[in-house]
Amino acid sequence: MCDSCGCHIREDDGGSGQDRRKIVDLHKSLLAANREQAMENRHHIEAMGAVALNLISSPGSGKTTLLEQTIGRLADRLRIGVIEGDIETERDADRIRKKGIPVVQLTTGGACHLDAPLVHRGLHDLEEQARRAGMDGLDLLFIENVGNLVCPATFDLGEHARVVLVSVPEGSDKPAKYPATFAWAHLFVISKTDLLPHFDFSIAEARREALALNPDLRILELAATTGTGMAAWTAFLEELVAAGQCRRNSSPLSATT
Amino acid sequence: MHELSLAQGLLEQLDELARRHHADQILRVEVAIGREAGIVTDSFVFGFNAIKKTLPSTRTTILAVTATGGRDLVLGRVEMECDDHG
Repeated sequence: MCDSCGCHIREDDGGSGQDRRKIVDLHKSLLAANREQAMENRHHIEAMGAVALNLISSPGSGKTTLLEQTIGRLADRLRIGVIEGDIETERDADRIRKKGIPVVQLTTGGACHLDAPLVHRGLHDLEEQARRAGMDGLDLLFIENVGNLVCPATFDLGEHARVVLVSVPEGSDKPAKYPATFAWAHLFVISKTDLLPHFDFSIAEARREALALNPDLRILELAATTGTGMAAWTAFLEELVAAGQCRRNSSPLSATT
Repeated sequence: MHELSLAQGLLEQLDELARRHHADQILRVEVAIGREAGIVTDSFVFGFNAIKKTLPSTRTTILAVTATGGRDLVLGRVEMECDDHG
């Protein structure tokens, strides 16, 4: 056998080798399994009454801080749950736990992103936690992905909105450098805008390059710790929740529930 | 590295295909990788070639990758050599 090109010529073949060849044209997606689980996750989240957001960013962009501040502003009127994704530790979940809302920590043990099967397990744990906390469902589910601006882009988790965060210290060239992540996002959050006086970050460049990749992308600028821009962010979330409720109420299935 | 886990998934699908078609060897497989899939082609090919020897049916499989539009990875044509029962 020829190892370099795969031709299967044996010296004692006698010319019958070609008869044993079979060609199959499959046209099968290798991401299909994740996609199918993501669809199930989406239905599961909707059955809980919620809409879900997948938060994607590099480590340290401020995802967890944004969630802490968001919970402080919305938990009195929306039922919020969080699924945290990290390679190791429960530190982010511990921070959210202190805010008194249901949270599940998924640790990948090495994988650079969450995927739909892992989130599926997290949804069951989160439902159980919400039930024990006396909540009869959720309005808003945040899935905080593993800190990574590259790999999460490939994996649908079952979210309704994908949010990409870039913080001011990281630089305004990130949309250009990570096109897949921005092309498939719904919202781009420029975070830590209180640090603009100290860094060479061009809001105009970040906006321009992101919109070139994705003209429908919504863009918000905020500083979670000072509160700047948080009203627009919470308005976006409430709009998403309302759209989800409208979708459920107008679904043909709603008449049977 | 998720290119490796995707390569592992491909390997398992090829092994299953070989069983179903009574094939000794998967000779060649074509995969189209979308440019917006966020997959590094070289890493995917490297990962596949690193692990293909772990299964008898894929020991010498040639992986041919083409770039395409979109964000999917699609398994296309598979060429196999069948055993005497195939």
